[in-house]
Amino acid sequence: MVDRIEFEGVPASGGIGIGKTHILEERQDDISPEKIQEEEIQFHVDKCNRAFRKIKEEFIKLKDGTDGEVADIIDAQIESLKDPELYKKILEKIESERYEAEYAIYSTLNEYIHIMENADAEWLNERTIDLMAIRDQLIDAARNRELGGQLEPGSVVFATNVSPTTMIELSRNSIAALVMQKGGLTTHAVILAQSLDIPCVIGVEWKIRRFKNSEEVIVDGEQGLVVVRPLDSEKKKYQKRRKEKEEEAVKFLQVVKKPSETACGKKFKLQANVEFLEELPRVKTHGADGVGLLRTETILFQKTGFDVASQLDFYRKVVDASGDSDVTIRLFDAGGDKLLDDSETEANPFLGWRGIRMLLDKSELLNNQLEAIYKLSGEFKNRIKLLVPMVSCVSEVYRLKEKINEVKEKLNKEDVEFDPNLPVGVMIEVPSVAIMADKIAKEVDFFSIGTNDLTQYTLAVDRGNEKISSLYQPYHPAIWKLIQMTAGGAKKSGIPVTVCGEMASKPKAAACLLGLGIENLSMTTGALPVVKSLLCSQSLKDMRKLSGQVLDANSPEEVIALMDSFGE
Amino acid sequence: MVKKTVTVKNEAGLHARPSSVLVKTASKFNSDFYISMYGYKVNGKSILGVMTLAAECGAEMELIFEGDDEQEALTTISELFENKFERN
Repeated sequence: MVDRIEFEGVPASGGIGIGKTHILEERQDDISPEKIQEEEIQFHVDKCNRAFRKIKEEFIKLKDGTDGEVADIIDAQIESLKDPELYKKILEKIESERYEAEYAIYSTLNEYIHIMENADAEWLNERTIDLMAIRDQLIDAARNRELGGQLEPGSVVFATNVSPTTMIELSRNSIAALVMQKGGLTTHAVILAQSLDIPCVIGVEWKIRRFKNSEEVIVDGEQGLVVVRPLDSEKKKYQKRRKEKEEEAVKFLQVVKKPSETACGKKFKLQANVEFLEELPRVKTHGADGVGLLRTETILFQKTGFDVASQLDFYRKVVDASGDSDVTIRLFDAGGDKLLDDSETEANPFLGWRGIRMLLDKSELLNNQLEAIYKLSGEFKNRIKLLVPMVSCVSEVYRLKEKINEVKEKLNKEDVEFDPNLPVGVMIEVPSVAIMADKIAKEVDFFSIGTNDLTQYTLAVDRGNEKISSLYQPYHPAIWKLIQMTAGGAKKSGIPVTVCGEMASKPKAAACLLGLGIENLSMTTGALPVVKSLLCSQSLKDMRKLSGQVLDANSPEEVIALMDSFGE
Repeated sequence: MVKKTVTVKNEAGLHARPSSVLVKTASKFNSDFYISMYGYKVNGKSILGVMTLAAECGAEMELIFEGDDEQEALTTISELFENKFERN
């Protein structure tokens, strides 16, 4: 009797995967510097040419139907395969040094990988995984081995790390789940897994236990659990859970089609928070009414370029994916620590030079983004809004408006069309602006409450500090009071309020927000169906009652208890 | 042979996408194309060579062309640097 093996990891993409193990082989171990005879040279040159041709064709096929960053990544892969220097070096190793094709490919690519790994530029370090993918695929092709050839549909793939291109290929083979030893929650492979609904667990030390290919395995993408050779009872339990999930998905689809209104007919609006192009298909499938928060930091940090043209390109794709609905673009919300050329570190980056504070000092960055957003507003009439992060004082709004006027003048001179009345709103995430909401409301067109930062700034609790993580309480009555003040201040001037923080994605908290008169909620696409389902099933009267009780509560625990019993 | 010194103007530097645009454009010309920077000289038609220069915004580099269409190649490639490799 073989033993059950259980691994724990970090849940990265939800869902239950049940299938057979498939270990993605690593080639480092079995490639040695084998020498060849003179008469074998041609054979190895041919083998090398065949491998290049095959992988190039595969990438060209893979590129079909992709766009944005994924297409850029694949494009760079194709160019690498066409690289004349790479090819020359490999050929030299075969013809002059008389190494077999596999080793020539392996060692030449490793030279480049080594340079990239040790480069100072972070973006170049990140490219190594793609180059490793090319290396391994070329060697497989030279050996006539195929990734997809042995990969049965329904396999659970175990890998060290997976490149974005391999991930796309795996998904086309209908894998049941992915288990990785490395990788982070924001890596491309994980984001792709999420958008393709492939369960994924990362940070799993699967190599320390022995198991073979084609063994039974269960992956729980919600709990971060991986079980090889599961017990029969476990298998039954998970088969049942998977069936329930499938039924839930069908139910969700029905919810998505329903109109957004409470049981008593009060309308509300649910939008999507978006950061990556890969997430865009979910805006429609999960029933979002446009994009309530488009994060733009990724354009900056993934270095796809933040010149006006690249930004416009990115924004257009987001607007196109949003049907006829509106898109709220938040200006770069980043700390100064992340900017390439400013390496001074701050003692308290969260209380430091970030968001609008940094943008007002970085005119090129700000002007470029404003120009891109205003140009976009000319192309998509009445559908674009601009959101300003980290405002703590009304004078920042005045200064930003001066900058906006400069951009408008420039566009006027260039005879470029734009929306002169583009709505400009501010993030409410610093307590000072929540308290001053009635004054600031007179200067802006809308508010958007970022509950995560509002919580950490109000409670003086660093979200990332594990020692005090229990003190990070988004349901603290103080936060609800600040939200109430914000909603009240907005109402006086008749401007709309959105909540775009994590709070909006919790169904019962969302009900409480609606009770406070906040009718616009923006959240991660995955949460849209559950939130909508609850909001549609309750009456506004009960939601108001809940919010009244919450505002009257003494402690976060009391608020949580009130939420728990709501609607039961 | 023609030469010209240019400056990388796009803020993120010569990362993957601009490198790919540069190499693709350069490969359309017959002329040999080399980039010289900080004493390194790489083949301008080699994306791996160009990327490993890790040229940041503000970096200066010398473009060297040699061949029957060298003048035309120089003009086209310099324009790419000037336009920050933006898509049209």
